[in-house]
Amino acid sequence: MEYQSQRVAYFYFALALLLFTLQVLLGLWLAVNYFATLPQSLVDVFPFSTARAMHTNLLVLWLLLGFMGATYYIVPAETKSEIYSTKIAYIQLVALALTGVTALIGFLFGWTQGRPLLEIPMPLDFVIVIGALMFLYNIGMTMIKAKNWTVIQGTLLGGLVFLAVMYLFGIPFYPNLTIDWYYWWWVIHLWVEGAWELVAGAIFAFILMKITGVDRAVVEKWLYVEMGLFLFTGIAGTGHHYYWLGAPRYWLWIGGIFSALEPLPILLMVIDTMKHVRHRKLQVANSLVWTYAIGGAFYHLLGAGLFGFAHTLPQINYYTHGSQVTVSHGHLAFFGAYAMLNLMVFYYAMPKLKGLENYADGRGKFGFWTMGSAMFCMGLSFGVAGVLQAYLERVLGMGYMAAQEQMRLWFMVAFVCGLAFLIGVLVTVYDLFFLKPKEESKPVRSAVAQPAR
Amino acid sequence: MSLTKRTAWWIFLVGTLGSLILFLALTIDTHRQVRVLTNADRLTDEVVAGKRVWEKYNCNDCHTILGFGGYYAPDMTKSYKRLGDVGIRERVAKPEVVFSRSWRKMPQQHLSKKEIEDLVVFMKWVNDIDTHDWPPQDSAKMPESSIRKLIAMVGISPGAALFKERGCLACHRIGEVGTDVGPAMDKVGAKYNKETLAEYIIHPKKVNPQSKMPEQPDVKPLEAERIAEFLMGLK
Repeated sequence: MEYQSQRVAYFYFALALLLFTLQVLLGLWLAVNYFATLPQSLVDVFPFSTARAMHTNLLVLWLLLGFMGATYYIVPAETKSEIYSTKIAYIQLVALALTGVTALIGFLFGWTQGRPLLEIPMPLDFVIVIGALMFLYNIGMTMIKAKNWTVIQGTLLGGLVFLAVMYLFGIPFYPNLTIDWYYWWWVIHLWVEGAWELVAGAIFAFILMKITGVDRAVVEKWLYVEMGLFLFTGIAGTGHHYYWLGAPRYWLWIGGIFSALEPLPILLMVIDTMKHVRHRKLQVANSLVWTYAIGGAFYHLLGAGLFGFAHTLPQINYYTHGSQVTVSHGHLAFFGAYAMLNLMVFYYAMPKLKGLENYADGRGKFGFWTMGSAMFCMGLSFGVAGVLQAYLERVLGMGYMAAQEQMRLWFMVAFVCGLAFLIGVLVTVYDLFFLKPKEESKPVRSAVAQPAR
Repeated sequence: MSLTKRTAWWIFLVGTLGSLILFLALTIDTHRQVRVLTNADRLTDEVVAGKRVWEKYNCNDCHTILGFGGYYAPDMTKSYKRLGDVGIRERVAKPEVVFSRSWRKMPQQHLSKKEIEDLVVFMKWVNDIDTHDWPPQDSAKMPESSIRKLIAMVGISPGAALFKERGCLACHRIGEVGTDVGPAMDKVGAKYNKETLAEYIIHPKKVNPQSKMPEQPDVKPLEAERIAEFLMGLK
């Protein structure tokens, strides 16, 4: 840590990790709902819908907190200056944390906007908008005052502004259901396949540059090409959500063609990462960050790229849309593309924020492999359930619950994988909070490594 | 590779703007066409009130609609066609009764009579959105296949067609067709005679005061007789 104000990031990361744990616990509860018969009295007070709203909102909240923390860590290093105001950063964190807690408790009492992932009621939306404006102002002022513009900074700021603007489309009440979902995807799709990719791309480029020592010019050049491809395929690719919602038929063509191209930028990112790793100029210091960087790139390709592509063509999507196939893709994609990226940042920045240059990575590696394989197993279980559902319910015309009966076993398998995932999460979160320095008895390999900046 | 940073910047700019312009142009056109595709002229105050009910009780985090939302319960896009007024009303008003035999439950959320009626009108409007024949399970092609299955089991009969058309399968099962909300119909002919059965179909409580089945005012006496005939033939 070179700049005092980078410390702000630590508190964002810490809160994100706690919310992540809570999200996974609620996920397990959802899995129980899927295979067990719960008493009516329990369903009446804590229905599946409430738990799902909490599970998904926690996901969004912890990932966004991670992104913000990462931004507060990266911007001083990139601009070579302190954050404009650490006070704003802390106020904004408290405001977001309070809003999040209020929203979660509100869900328990039925205070909701009732739209999946955007359940947060309108008054709280405005607090979030104010929080976002404070954040953007703080980051923007830091960059403007420093006048040390880089492509990474620009991409990061661009992505964050894009992210904030898209949130606005989720706030109003739309009387027409079709229009409602049309703009719902402007938030959800243009986040995960647009704004978030920009933010994640900038963060990833920064860390890759730091750990490999590859020239900034090379990293930034690739960043342009990848982001260009992400946005080219991603923006019009929104069309793959418009097949069956009451929009014109041409979306089947637009959505099909553009989203068929969507794996390309991810593939390019994987190739580019491997190339940088091969031509690295620095020695491996903390190998866990590398594990997460490479693992994350591959998981991104698997979950978002391949599993997304698998059911994105209209001919297939007609049968898989709104089934457990979507659940499978959703879990693998969010984990692969965004959870892994955040955890990589945490493992890069949290040790430095604690003044540790080298830390023991045994527990962390255990966490990585446990989470990675458990999530893969979970994604496959949902996938099998989804294929069963598509065939039994949509091809054979079996009733919804009759088909669910046949899928029940796979929900149990998903639950067991979820338990394994929870173990990975608990180990990882504990490890990040209580990092241990690397034992000195081992030969120090980092002698050649330059201090990360 | 001889790609310069400047070329990379142009790739970024042209790719992004090209996609954005196409997307915005199609958005404008979609707005134009959606009026027809969704029958926006029939979007009455009651329909909009029904949408607010749908949101107020967070229905969408268990059910999908247009395929979006929670995957925990059946898709509601064509619920009106599948369940009709009576079917929707019963399920929302008394889920603890309707789903008492189901291994997955629906919460009792104490909706007012007005809210339930608005919800029914909303579902009726949603039912008519042109979704390019999605979802397949409710597609016009699908009932044919389940009717074919019925016919394969029991032979051609006008009663079988009516049984399907009047939404009986939304609660009852015959062989492998239908659902388990109410009792299976395979052996019901052994329990009642034809006249009683026809009466039961329209006014269940007159025959069996303990019955959980809702009244069926939409079914005509002659239709009930045909359905009863068909059910008698099953035993």
